[in-house]
Formats: sequence, C-alpha cells, structure tokens
Amino acid sequence: MSSKEKEPIQLLQGTLDLIVLRTLASMGPQHAYQIATRLQQISDRLLNLNQGTLYPALVRLEQYGWIKGTWGRTENNREAKYYEITKAGQKALGEETEKWRRMSALVERLLLEES
Amino acid sequence: MRYVRRIFLRLYKLFTNSKTEAELAREIAAHLALLEDEYLRQGMSPDDARLAARRAYGGVEQAKQLHRNERAFQGLGQILQDTRYTFRQLRKSPGFAVTAILMLALGIGATTAIFSIVEGVLLRPLPFPDPDRVVILGDVLEGSHCASCTHAHVTAPDIRNYMRDTQSFTHLGGYQGADFELSGTGNPVALNATRMSGEVFAALGVAPLMGRVFTQREDEQHQQVAVLSYSMWRSRFHGDATILGSKILLDRKPYTVVGVMPRNFEFPLKPGHVNHSELWVPLSLQPEEFTAGYAASWNFQMVGRLKPGITAEQAQSDAERVARETMRSYPAFMRSLRIHPVVTPLREDTVEQARPLVRTLLLAVIIVLLIACANLAGLLLVRSIRRRREIAVRLALGARAATLLRQAIVESMVLSIAGGGIGLALAAAALRVGVGLLPETLPRVREIGLDWPVMLFALGLGLLTGFLCGLAPAFAAIRTSVNEALKEGGRTGTPGSGHASLRSGLVVAEIAVALVLLTASGLLLRSFQKMRAVNIGFVPDHTLAALYDLPSQQYATQSAIDIFSEDLRRSLQELPGVEAVGITSLLPAAGNGFGIAFTIEGYIPPKGAGLNMAAMSQVLGDPFQALGIRLLRGRGFTESDKAGSQLVAIVNRKMAQRYWPGQDPIGKRLRRGMPETVTPWMTVVGEVDDVKLGPPDAETALQVYQPVTQTVASEGVFATAGELSASNGWIVLRSRVAPEQMENLLRATVQKIDQQLPLYQMQTMEHAISNSEAPRRFNTVLISSFAIAAVLLSVLGIYAVIAFSVALREQEIAVRIALGCQRSGVLVLILGSGVRLAAVGCGLGLLGAAAASRLLRSFLFDVSPFDPGVLALSAVVMLLLALAASALPARRASSTDPMLALRGE
Repeated sequence: MSSKEKEPIQLLQGTLDLIVLRTLASMGPQHAYQIATRLQQISDRLLNLNQGTLYPALVRLEQYGWIKGTWGRTENNREAKYYEITKAGQKALGEETEKWRRMSALVERLLLEES
Repeated sequence: MRYVRRIFLRLYKLFTNSKTEAELAREIAAHLALLEDEYLRQGMSPDDARLAARRAYGGVEQAKQLHRNERAFQGLGQILQDTRYTFRQLRKSPGFAVTAILMLALGIGATTAIFSIVEGVLLRPLPFPDPDRVVILGDVLEGSHCASCTHAHVTAPDIRNYMRDTQSFTHLGGYQGADFELSGTGNPVALNATRMSGEVFAALGVAPLMGRVFTQREDEQHQQVAVLSYSMWRSRFHGDATILGSKILLDRKPYTVVGVMPRNFEFPLKPGHVNHSELWVPLSLQPEEFTAGYAASWNFQMVGRLKPGITAEQAQSDAERVARETMRSYPAFMRSLRIHPVVTPLREDTVEQARPLVRTLLLAVIIVLLIACANLAGLLLVRSIRRRREIAVRLALGARAATLLRQAIVESMVLSIAGGGIGLALAAAALRVGVGLLPETLPRVREIGLDWPVMLFALGLGLLTGFLCGLAPAFAAIRTSVNEALKEGGRTGTPGSGHASLRSGLVVAEIAVALVLLTASGLLLRSFQKMRAVNIGFVPDHTLAALYDLPSQQYATQSAIDIFSEDLRRSLQELPGVEAVGITSLLPAAGNGFGIAFTIEGYIPPKGAGLNMAAMSQVLGDPFQALGIRLLRGRGFTESDKAGSQLVAIVNRKMAQRYWPGQDPIGKRLRRGMPETVTPWMTVVGEVDDVKLGPPDAETALQVYQPVTQTVASEGVFATAGELSASNGWIVLRSRVAPEQMENLLRATVQKIDQQLPLYQMQTMEHAISNSEAPRRFNTVLISSFAIAAVLLSVLGIYAVIAFSVALREQEIAVRIALGCQRSGVLVLILGSGVRLAAVGCGLGLLGAAAASRLLRSFLFDVSPFDPGVLALSAVVMLLLALAASALPARRASSTDPMLALRGE
C-alpha cells in the first residue's frame, strides 16, 4: 500500500501552466532549472517530471503573452534564460486560480457526497 | 484573444525556425550546465555530474521535439520545408517549371472561365427570395406543334381565371413584353418594357430601390404608373433622385413614375444582352383583350409564388381544374381547343434551353484540362525517373515512403497552385472580353463574372489537379527499388520500363480524348458549313430593315394608319437608289413568328394530326421584291387587293406541297381558325419560295402571306370591334447602294412623316442573318478552339514521351548503329513507336466519339454524329500530327554517334 502512495503522480492537463505561473508570481524571475527545482521541492518529489518537459509549458505561456523570457547571468556567472510574469500573466493567474479553486471544490464536494 | 495571438505566433515560428532552434539549444545547454554545477557541488566527479544532469533533464531530443510541437504547427512546417525544397528544385529547371505552370494556367483558366458561365447561368439561384417557390404557369395547346412555343403561354381570359380561381399560389400574375415609345425627355426612343400584374412584384418578392411598386389594385383600376429599371434610371434620367412622382410619356400617354428597382432586378429573365425590360407598367387588360381573336391568342405568360407546402404538381392539378372550367366557357369557335396547364419552376423555364450548350462547353473544357494534367503527370514522371538515383539514395538512407510521397505531391501542388493563380487571371481577362461575345440565347449573362464560388472553384481545381498529377510520380518514386536503381550505376540500359508503360498510357489517353474533341469540332464545323449552304429563300445583300410601331393615341383610326403607311411607302419609293420597298409583319431571320391555325378547303387531316399551324405575314408594298423572295407560281399582291375586294393569300412552297401535293395551289382556298370557326375564305393567288424566318438551321415554317389591308376582313368573328391593322411592321428596303448608307435616309424619311416616331432594331439583312447564326457560330468557335488546344497539348505529350525514351535509349541505339543498323531503320523504329501510341489512342478516341454522339447530336445540323468523312479526317490529322511530333526525336536518334556505344561504359 505504501509503495503505491510513493508512486509519482501525473500532472492534470493544464495544471502545469498554473503551477509555473504561481511560482513565477511568488518568487520573481526564475530560469527553467530553478522552476523545475521549485516544483520538485513543493511536490515533495512526488511529481514525475523530467526537467525538459517544462519547455512546452514555457513556450506556450510565452506565446500567450503571460510570461517573458530574457537572458541573464546566475550568481555563479552562468548564463540562463530568466522568465518573468507579465501584467497579463498576473491577471490570468488570478482567473486561473479562481477557476481551479471552483473546480477542485466541486470535485471535493462530489467525492464527499459519494463516500 | 490569447488564442489568436498564439495562432499567429505559431505560424510565425514556422519561418524563424533556425533562429528559434539555436535559442532553444542555448537554453538547454545553459540548463544542463546549471544542473551539472549543482551535482558538482554535491561532490560528484565531473563525468558523473554530467551524466546525472542528463538523467535529471531527460531526453534532450524529446524535449526539443516537444518544444517544436508546442511552438509551431508542425504539419505545416514539414510542408513548408517541402515547398522550399520544391522551389529549389524548380529553380534548377526553369524550363520545366514554366512549361508546366503555363500549361496548367491555360487549362485551369479556360475551365474557370467556362465554369463562371455555368455558375452564373445554371447554378446560381435566381435573384429572388426563396427562388425555388417561384413558378411559371402556362398552357400547352393540344395539337399545336408549335416549335417556337418552348415557354408555355396563356391568354388574357386565362390570366383572369387563373388569378381568380387557383388556390395554390400566394401571388400569381400575368405579364407580357411590350415596346413603348418614350418621349418628352429628349429624342423619342424605343423601350423594351413589360406589362405586368401588380401581383408579379409580390410573387417575385423584390423590394424597390426607391419609391414603391404598383399594386394589383392600381393594375385593375388602369392607373398609368411606371416602375423604372435601375439601368434606365441611371442612363436616361441620370440617376435623378427626384424622379418619383414625375411624368413620362409612353406611347404619348402620361405615366407617373412611382418606383425604381434595384440594380440586379431583372424580369422577365430574357436570354442575351439586349431586350431586357427597362420599365414595368400595369398589365391593365383592355376589354377587347377578352373577346374574339385575343381570347384565342396565347400571348401572355404567368408567374407565381407557390404557397408553403404546395408542390408544383399540386399547383398544376389545381390549375387543371380551373382550365377545365375555362374550356367549358369557350366560345363556339374555340370548342375544339384543348389546353393543359403546366407549372414549372421559373429557374427551369429560364435555363432549360441553355443547359445542353453550357454542359457541352464544360465537358469540352474539362477534357482540355485533363489532357493538360496528363501532360504534367507525364513530365513529373520523367523528372522522377531522372531522379531515380537520388531517390534510391534517400530511401537507402532511411527516408520514409510517406515523406517521398508528400514531397512529390507538394511539388506538383506548388506547380498547380501557381498555374491556378495565373489561370484565374487569364479567366478574368477572358471574361472581360468574352461576355460580350456570348450568344443571345444564353439567359442571365449579366450575372456572369468572377465571384467567390468561381474563385474557390479555381483554387479547388488547382489543388485537385496538383494532387492527381502528383500521384503518378509519387508512386513511381516510392516503388523505386533501391537495389536496382543503385545497381544500375552508370549503366543507362533501358531503366524504368514499368513507368514507360504508365507514360505511354497517359499519352494514349490524351490522344483519345483529344480526338473526341477534334471530331466534335469537325462535326460542328461541317454543320456550320451545311448551315451556310442552306437556301434561306431570300437575298440578304443590299437590304435594310427597321421596325416601327405607331402609338395608338395618335393613330386611333384605320384611315390615320393607312395614310401614314401609304405616305411612308411612297416617300421611301421615291428615295434615290431605292429599288423596292415593302412592309411586312414578320421579318425573315429575325425569328419572331408564331403559328396561327388554318383550315384548308377540302383537306381532311389524318387522325390525331392536331391543328394546322402556319406563320402568317401581313404585307404592304412589295416585300417579296425588296427581300428577293422568288415568286414560283401565280402573282404577287397588287394595289387592287384591298380591304373590300376578294380576300387573297400567297403561300410558300412547303405549305403548297403539304396541302396540295402535286397540284397547282393557285385558286385553292384556305381560311383562318379551326373548322368550326366562322371566317371567310381566302384564295391563293401565288406561291413563293420557302423563307427561313429564324436561323438557317431551323426548320422551315409553313408560311402564308396576306395584304395587310385584308387582315380584319379575314379574321371574321375573330376580329375585335374597332380592330386596327398595319399599326406596326418591318420596313424592308432594297437599294442599289450599300444598305448602311440608307440608314440615315430612312430615318429622316420616317421623321418627316412623324417627327416623334422612333425606329427599332434597324439592321441590314446580312446582319440579321449573322445574328441568327450567332449561337451556332459561338458553339463551333469555342469547341474548335478547345479542340485545337487539346490536340496541341496531346501532340506535346507524344513529343515528350518519344523524346524521353530516345534519350534513355541513346546507348542502345548507338550499339545498334555500331552493329550496322541503318539510320533509316532507327528512324522507322522511333517513328513507329510514336505512331503506334497515336493509333491506339485514335482507336479509343473513335470509340469515345461514338459514346459522345448522343450529347453532340442536338448541336449538329444535317450531319450524322458518325459522319465517316469527319471521323476519318480527324483520325488522319491526329496520326499525322503524332508522326510529326515523333519526327524530331526520331531524327535525333538516327544521327546518334556510334562512338557513344564505346564511350558510354
């Protein structure tokens, strides 16, 4: 049973976008590696996430105009592309969070009633 | 909004691929470096750190692919790549590209131009709301084998009865074309107008652009109101916005303008460019139109809108009930007449006659396009054979069949879309010039043009041809056997024999369909020639004709009309250079005759023969001499054949032979109407040659002539009280000088007698004949030009195939010559292969021509669709052209240097 709990969970469609936006909103400009590390931290390593799988989400968000990437330097003087949330992104984050809350509340209620 | 933005970006990214890829690679490298740093910091060795970083990151290539899929439309991306590749390939062989594109442009352009005619004339719904419910109601008169009555007509009493008693129509009304003289605004002019019931506007359901239409009530109250067409309002009244309420003079009677119709409103939907109705006035049937002769004149038409849920069949049986009632109340002299009402959709009625012509043209032009396609497929096949080694290498290196297939199809699509674009421009140019040349038999010509459906058609055609043409080379490419192609190495033997048969098949098919068109064109040309050779029964040169119509307001009495006619005849006779003058109600070649029933003394019609119908001309002066109609027997009319004297008639030869075969018709008697009609006898005093009243290829009508002065007397009970005769007619003038020089003189003479009277349709008789021949000339010229295009293209096809096979067999031919084969032998060998293809194609083509004969038969005149002369000549021409096309490569082959045999290895 316990081994089952430890099994990595799959991300729901569309939730990755929300998580990335949230991360950028709370932590300021981040590069892809930082975002990935952060994801693993908060998920307690439960997310089955190759770091490369972040890229489609980043390009999608960038094309929506919600985040913006610029090249910069890390403290170790390595180059990295930093992503920053835009105004539109802030607004979208609010809307998406609201949507997600409603959705999860609904699912939660359903599960309660069923059990 | 964000989705729109994204779609643009994803399209945009297709074009900035290399930049984005570089950026991505840089980002991934940076990411990996950061990961590596992290692992190093944790104390791993540099090698381990690098591996761990890779593991944590996951597959780099997979990540890149995910990124690509996300950032741009990948399917499009590949096609774009193929397109770039195609452009590179085509730039390397501009000759091929230009040939292919031009060929397709011609094919697609011609097809698009013809399709725009099909679309405008046949496919587009009529410009009325809910057009399928608009129908024509008319009577078919039993036993009247009336050739000109393709559209069913009604009588004035019919209009009243159908309008009052049918229950299947929301609106139903009658109409009739009318000529009016418009005066009061500048020079008097002749107008094409339509008298119609107020209900007709309601039935058509079109609102006026300005003002209002007239109502049924105004119609019944005989209000003198008029609705103008848009073009008339613009041209004659300069688009004057204050025209509403003003008065115009029609036939010198004042009419109030109450409305202007929108630009695209046209009714009746008459074929051709001229004769469109320029204004509409109430039908306002006159009392006399319900009595005597008028009651038996099917001179009106009816249009209505079906009630919802009522079908045309139901409406027809409804009308039949009314018709039975109408027949019950027929006067005695009409008792034997039987009518059957028919209800047909207006659209059917409008396009019926144009359909075969338009369909044939479309078929012909599609044949041309197919040949162009086959040629392009052949050329592409040759290219793909030339590229066998390249394809084989790519296959060997692991290119997928789907990729090769896609590339081949993209290549041909690039060509065909380019061809389609140029073709569309060609079609636009052709339409600009060509619509004016369309024959007057085609309805709705104003609606022909390049619009969206036509553009989509051209584009679709381009894509379809591209796809189809691409298939052959595509499959040839994927069927390439890597082993064989690479093994062949430098050897040039005779590779690709399987494709050779495919290429030959294409050429055979091309020749076959080209021959079908060629024979069709030959048969049409032969028909045209036959038509030109027809004896039209009159001598058209040096003859001028013009129509006049006296307004009843001014010419209210018979004596006023007679004075005018006599004045006109005499003053024209006295003009210098005039040889003969006549006035006739029916002008030969103008095709404006309809039948009148006759009873022949002593003639017992065979059972079920129906009515004896003949075309009746009322004449004044000497139109026989003016038109050059030969008198065969008896005498012409003289001054003494006048109102009070014995009634006389002249018949044509066909009439004489039909009713008095082998006898002298002079002295025989005939009268108007059916046997039960009370009409006086007319005595035949002369017999004249048969005259073609319509086009020369139409059947000759039975014809009767009578002095116009005796019209009323000959009508007996048919005649209406106070009926006037000779109030209109065609002036025919034979002169010693060219008829064009007489035009002004004729006009001046008429105006000297009546200042305001306009002359209509002034034309030389040669022009009238040329007009009547126009539809056939149009078919013939168009089909022939398609045939020429088809033949040229297929000859090009033969040339390409033979030239290519000669190029492939160069080595073999060199060996043959080195071994002592005569050069003439080589020549015969190559010529033979070309002629063999052509012979097979001709055989198939003749079969095809036989199959197409049914379609073609209705267009032929006096020629069998199996005319052996035409069929043989077409086949021989095709074979000779094939021979000529193979001669060039054959000569090249026969001059092959035998040294090649040695050097080639």
